[in-house]
Formats: sequence, structure tokens, C-alpha cells
Amino acid sequence: MVLTIYGFALTAGTRRITLVCKELNIPYEFVVVDLAAGEQKTPAYLQKQPFGQVPAIDDDGFKLYESRAIGRYLAAKAGSPLLPHSDPKKFGEFEVAASIEYSNFEPFASKIAHEKIYKPLQGLATDEAVVAERLAALTTKLETYEVILGKQKYLAGDEITLADLFHLPYGSALVQVGFDVFSTPNLKRWWNDISSRPSWQAVKDSA
Amino acid sequence: MVLTVYGFALTAGTRRVTLVCKELNIPYGFVVVNLAAGEHKTPAYLEKQPFGQVPAIDDDGFKLYESRAIGRYLSAKAGSPLLPNFDPKKLAEFEVAASIEYSNFDPYASKIAFERFVKPLRGLVTDEAVVAQTLASLTAKLEVYEVILGKQKYLAGDEITLADLFHLPYGSILVQVGADVFSTPNLKRWWNDISSRPSWQAVKDSA
Repeated sequence: MVLTIYGFALTAGTRRITLVCKELNIPYEFVVVDLAAGEQKTPAYLQKQPFGQVPAIDDDGFKLYESRAIGRYLAAKAGSPLLPHSDPKKFGEFEVAASIEYSNFEPFASKIAHEKIYKPLQGLATDEAVVAERLAALTTKLETYEVILGKQKYLAGDEITLADLFHLPYGSALVQVGFDVFSTPNLKRWWNDISSRPSWQAVKDSA
Repeated sequence: MVLTVYGFALTAGTRRVTLVCKELNIPYGFVVVNLAAGEHKTPAYLEKQPFGQVPAIDDDGFKLYESRAIGRYLSAKAGSPLLPNFDPKKLAEFEVAASIEYSNFDPYASKIAFERFVKPLRGLVTDEAVVAQTLASLTAKLEVYEVILGKQKYLAGDEITLADLFHLPYGSILVQVGADVFSTPNLKRWWNDISSRPSWQAVKDSA
């Protein structure tokens, strides 16, 4: 039975999991959820994802949602080092990095992407003051990333993990709209490394 | 060697960690980080937590930060069912619940807590329009919690996990500032259950 992914390719959450599937060589079927038509709020879809968000998966009857949970599940199932689970300390260090991503990167990067990419797509005006404020806050956070990445190759240590990969969708959106946020030496090295991976190249523009 | 927790007792992250210590009967030494004096931005503290935030831990030389990562580390080390990591599917269901907490609860609850609780402490004026708008969004999310908790006892299944416990600090502040968000039947049952646990009672007002 093949894994089915329900999503919309231009969204961060959907690309977060197709990326993990490519990393782990997991074949999948992609079913488009028509966000413009409000399909994510239909009773049929709410059975898959009760918050009416994308993505969601069906793995031979096992249903999950929340992209970072799905990524962890697929990595755990594959026994992949992308989720270092054998040792509490290595696991702890991974979870620090994963927490940094959703606490210190996502709130800022997603808001900028929302203002600069998604709002125009919906015919709404970008609030440049919000963008400027979020960008300033993000830049400060990334100064700490620069320190961390000066001591180790990736965010959780010297091996790549899901925590690095989870940055790719919104990180790429920032670069796309012209914000050169990964410009200091260690950030640049890290960003070039993770964004050039074949798995990301395979999904960045499609599913 | 005892676990040392560096934090400030009134903050959500610090109480998330001391709560888990109480749940797992882990003794800890608590060191106050004087936020008002800017201690969290000193070079000495930045060695423990490079983003200059609380809490941070030192477990016999092993340093970690980000409260949800610390909670997972302590649970994994203890082999506790609060983190069901023995099976990819059980882990996945836990991670969905944990993701729901930081995606669908924390951004709204923390914002309301900031407006109604933190700002007055700093002599600033609460923006009630922001509170109203944020509360409306949170209420919509909690309608989905009501559905989930109608099918199972806790957010990840029928056993309590870290995902439920992580709601306690901001959830309690919401109740404290008069936002009666856990009022529908299943939410009420769940909230009464988790908030009456001795571990939470032990740390809710102190470290």
C-alpha cells in the first residue's frame, strides 16, 4: 500500500513532508486539496485533518497530520538518523534544534511569507511595516544561528536532521522574495548545503 | 549530580520544565535568572542559552534549552510513557498532539497572556482589541479540541502525555485573566483532569 499525501504543493507544510519522503526514498501518491475552493473545510477533509489545514497523510489506514509530526513518524518508521532516537542525549539535542525552528524561525519567516507571497496571491495588500518588524526580529535570531553553526555543521550537531530540513520551505520563500537572510558565513554555508540537496530540488516547485 | 534548572518561575517555559520534573520525580536545583536585571542577556547566561531566553538546564554537564525539548529529553531518559517513543505510530500520535499545542494553541494563548498578564506587570496598557481577536481565533481552534477530546481521553490518545501537560502554563494564565476557554464539556473534563494533577499544583505558583 502506498503512502497518500493530501496537500497543496505551494504550502510550507506540504513541501516539508514531500521533502522528507524524497530524503527517505518513500514513494507516495499526492492528492491535491483545492484550497481556493475551500476543500480543506469540507466534512470529508475534516475527517482527515480536523483543523481544516494541509497536509494530512494516510499510511495504509494510519492517519496523521501536522507536517513536523508526519516527518518524525516517517523518519522513526524508517529508523533514519534524520530523527536520532536511540540515545536520550542525541534525541534531546535534536529536539532543541527542532524547537528552535518552530519558536525562533517559523513565527517570523511564515509571517513574512504570508505578507509577501500569499496575500498578493489573494489580491490583498502587503503590510510592509509588519514585514520590516518581522525581518528585524528574524535577523536577530539568525545571529544566534550564526554562533551555533560556527561550532557544529548542522543545528543539532554534526549530522543533518529533520530540524535543518524543516527550515527549507519558509527559508526558500524568504530568499525568493529577495531577503538575503542567510548571508553571514556560517549561515551561508549551512543554507547552501541544505538547499542544494536533491530531495529539496525535487519538491521545491511541485509535489 | 543533581539537575539544575535555570529559569524564572512566572514564565511558561520554566514551569513547563519544573512540571515535568515533578511528574517524573526528578529532583532539581533551581537557579533564578533575574530577567528584570537583564541577566538572560549576559555572556555567562548566553553560554547556557544562546538566544538569551529561559529556561535552560544543566544535567550533570549536559546542557539543553527550549522547554519542550527539555521535557522530551527528561521523559526519554526516564523511559516514561509521557513520551511514547517505543513505537513509531504511538510516537506519531504524540507528535501530532505536541504539534497541535505549539501551532494551534501557543501562538494565541501566549499573545493573550502577554496582553492581559505581562503588559500590566510592566506598566503597559492591554490592547483589548488584540485580545478579542486572538481569543476568537483560539476559541475556533478549541472547538476542534472539543471534537478530538470527545473521541479520546487526552490529546494523543487515552493516556496522558507531555502534549497535554505543555498546555498548563498558558492555559492557567488564560483562566487566571478571565478567559473561560475550557468551558465546553470535553474541554472542561480534560482541563480539570490535567490542572488538578499534583505535579502542576506543586509548581504553578513557584519553582
